[in-house]
Amino acid sequence: MKCAEARNFVRLYLDSELDAKNSFEVEQHLESCAECAGLFEAEKKFDDRLGRFLRHGQATRALWEKIETQIAPSRSHRVKALWPLALAATLVIAASVIFLTRSRTLDLANAVEECHSAYVHQITAPEFSGPVPEKIAQQFGGRLDAGAFAYRPSEPAFTSSGARLCHVEGVPVALILGRCAETPVSMIVFRKSELDHFPQTKRKLESGDPIACSRSGRYQFAARFIDDHVVCVVGDEPRPVLEDLLRAVRHADG
Amino acid sequence: MNEQNQHLAGVRFWGLLRPIESDLENYSRRMVFDRRDCEDALQNAVLRAFRAFDRYHDSASFRAWMFKILTNEIFAINRKRGRVAEFEVAVEPEEMEEFAGIDFAAETPISWETLADALDEELLAALQKLNNAERAVLLMRAIGDLRYREISECLAIPLGSVMGNLSRARQKMRDAILRARKQSWL
Repeated sequence: MKCAEARNFVRLYLDSELDAKNSFEVEQHLESCAECAGLFEAEKKFDDRLGRFLRHGQATRALWEKIETQIAPSRSHRVKALWPLALAATLVIAASVIFLTRSRTLDLANAVEECHSAYVHQITAPEFSGPVPEKIAQQFGGRLDAGAFAYRPSEPAFTSSGARLCHVEGVPVALILGRCAETPVSMIVFRKSELDHFPQTKRKLESGDPIACSRSGRYQFAARFIDDHVVCVVGDEPRPVLEDLLRAVRHADG
Repeated sequence: MNEQNQHLAGVRFWGLLRPIESDLENYSRRMVFDRRDCEDALQNAVLRAFRAFDRYHDSASFRAWMFKILTNEIFAINRKRGRVAEFEVAVEPEEMEEFAGIDFAAETPISWETLADALDEELLAALQKLNNAERAVLLMRAIGDLRYREISECLAIPLGSVMGNLSRARQKMRDAILRARKQSWL
């Protein structure tokens, strides 16, 4: 694909409206043409900045509670009796949302969303706090190190309830579970050498962006390099809050 | 529908709605620019959707379905307030290839580091100046994350019009960013 053709596709590509064949050819061209890659990156930054402005603001809880009360006044009573069905429906919907948004979100954000969702829905719990137990370290298979479990934000608002070993797309990761104020926040840490499993994120981080951000489902996601690790934070918090949290992450020995 | 099925439908409706509440609210707020009207539009839309939920099919995106209902409520409120006489849609070429001819490379690149907080004010002013179609299409894409085809169905306009309005809206917002950058240099 030539430069002119690739540039004509910039918006369709960034809006995920391009067919698979042309998308592949655009990606191939971007890998070999720094000028076009720069142009696409500038357009992506414009999207990010505009999106941040337009999406700024959370749902007003009082308003939605009012709407819900006015439309289904006796719903809360009935839901209590039907909570198993509600839970099942919520899980099915969560799975649908993950599936529908998978193709439009940064690959690593998609991959770690399930970890965080499992934590939020109390399916996943910490395995340990403090030093990594020997029996867990034995499962690293030479692809992770105990140091990955030693990162924490220096933010006083963040409290950790512990950590566990997880696998994301087959990559062993340190999953540190915590809360920022009252909101569950997950930290995922793994070796930089494993980033080949997440080419979109790799490209973004290696293009000079200090922090790669994305949204997956209802959660915001941010990632950055710290020494030889990739450190990510995920949570239902505004993006700037997560970015600040990520900037405050330090290694316990550092 | 018996009472048990109604309960299940209700549980499913609210389960689908909750993850998109903030997107719907942001969309409404930026389409209406008046807090009370924004809330009225949301409330009317949710009520209408709840009552019509038995006609919602799983094959369609719930997000796109809700955005369509909310957009109709917003246009109705805007018409009532006399803000917009009609929904303006320029005639656009239908084919995607026509859209692909826009020369993005000719546009001025933006240096993000120089931008100050004044940017949000410029963006808000630019958003208010967009016509109804440009604003709806831009917000459906940026906030709703809807695909071109879904936006086309929501607004009952051709696909080419979606792409044309989106392109113009983005260019106007890009111009606003450039204006803010120039001001930050003064």
